[in-house]
Amino acid sequence: MISAAQRPDCGAISTFIGTTRVDESSGASVEYLEYEAYRPMADRKLEEIGAEIIERWEVRHVSIIHRIGRVDPGGASVAIVVASPRRGPAFEASRYAIERIKEIVPIWKREVWSDGYVWVGSQVDTRPLSHEV
Amino acid sequence: MVKILLFGAAADAAGTREFELQLSDVRTLGNLWPLLEDRHPGLSPMRDTLAFAVNGEYARMDDRVSPGDEVAVLPPVSGG
Repeated sequence: MISAAQRPDCGAISTFIGTTRVDESSGASVEYLEYEAYRPMADRKLEEIGAEIIERWEVRHVSIIHRIGRVDPGGASVAIVVASPRRGPAFEASRYAIERIKEIVPIWKREVWSDGYVWVGSQVDTRPLSHEV
Repeated sequence: MVKILLFGAAADAAGTREFELQLSDVRTLGNLWPLLEDRHPGLSPMRDTLAFAVNGEYARMDDRVSPGDEVAVLPPVSGG
């Protein structure tokens, strides 16, 4: 992704890697994360985010990859690479990309615990005891 | 016929990821919702958290749904 972003008219490449953070509670722990997507729509929304960035900032290259399926704790789930002539727009645009992904891209993650699973953001889970997520 | 797709917690609540509804006339998404609830009552408590897409684009409750469309039931997204 980074070499594809290198261009002579750009002086900055910003990279953002989102990794899976897991918390521990009540003796149980998260074994892995599992992502699912509404595939054609998710692909299109990622492309839209790239187009929004090109329109709003002086950015010459955007690439975003989001994993689906199983991701182990600490693993990379999303990567964003932005190239711009200057560093300011590169930093701002990559921040914008991750925030927009969390708003509009139809991707869902569930934490798979040793005793059930939790849909992140939905307050819906199969774990035996009721708890805050 | 309208194809209904469900994701994440909504698929769990309904107990299925996909089903079809007989629909002979054009309705709004708001008018379609009671049919979804009738078929899968487990969805009712989630109503206020759900978003919807018609043919792969976010839709409002007054947007139209026609026979042949694909309607997706989308819980709060949690990518990243």
